[in-house]
Amino acid sequence: MSDDHHHPSARTPIEDRVDALEALLVERGIIDPAAIDAIVEHYEHAVGPMNGARVVARAWVDPAFRARLLADGTAAIAELGFGGPEGDHMVVVENTAAVHNLVVCTLCSCYPWPVLGLPPNWYKSPPYRARAVREPRVLLAEMGCAVPDDVEIRVWDSSAEVRYLVLPERPEGTDGLDEDALAALVTRDSMIGVARL
Amino acid sequence: MSVSRVAEEGLADPSLPRDNGALVFDAPWQGRALAMAVLTVERTGRQWDDFRRHLIACIDDDPERAYWESWVVALDRFVHEVGAAS
Repeated sequence: MSDDHHHPSARTPIEDRVDALEALLVERGIIDPAAIDAIVEHYEHAVGPMNGARVVARAWVDPAFRARLLADGTAAIAELGFGGPEGDHMVVVENTAAVHNLVVCTLCSCYPWPVLGLPPNWYKSPPYRARAVREPRVLLAEMGCAVPDDVEIRVWDSSAEVRYLVLPERPEGTDGLDEDALAALVTRDSMIGVARL
Repeated sequence: MSVSRVAEEGLADPSLPRDNGALVFDAPWQGRALAMAVLTVERTGRQWDDFRRHLIACIDDDPERAYWESWVVALDRFVHEVGAAS
């Protein structure tokens, strides 16, 4: 974040204000610029549902990876370079024609950050946490995710020890798509299990 | 990289603009303003709510103002509050 290459005419007052605040905070020794860059980098690029989507897309195109992913989620996800303190013990649960998986954290808001980014607000809400266990089918229907009656719903309670990721079913009619195109189809909600693709 | 509990709380602020769960920034200064708020809260031992109060007040002051501009005004106030106290 060098200031040497800016064209002064292209800068806006708000950018100047941010710069001034940064200079002040740095001068007082409250923060250092490298820490700012690290956070920005992390949340702009390193974390987000796209990481999870890449894991899912790889599993769809590579049966051997899919087998490793279901056997040891943490290790298989690490093959793609994703991991960290909030993704230490990942368990991947696979949706099939007969089973739909749903992830919740009944105690708090445990969530696999390295693959899904920031948890949505509703994930932390008491009604979601309670109803996902008590009446998942009704809750899912209200969230716009109708699960056919003959499909079993399995609810997985995340904790600090184990964090779950749903492997959604590959949508029909996607045989011609490559891995990148497939990843673009995978939504955050489908990896929590509140949506079907 | 691991983030502290305070940082998690800030980064999970429900008012932040998102798309499919990922934060949305229209310009680099917005991401920096977010990181600065998180770090200032963390390094001064404050609570996320101490910053959030300013953010809510700044949005209330001028609801038409762009979200991230209100954020910067709130950050300015918060930094000065922290500075005055330290």
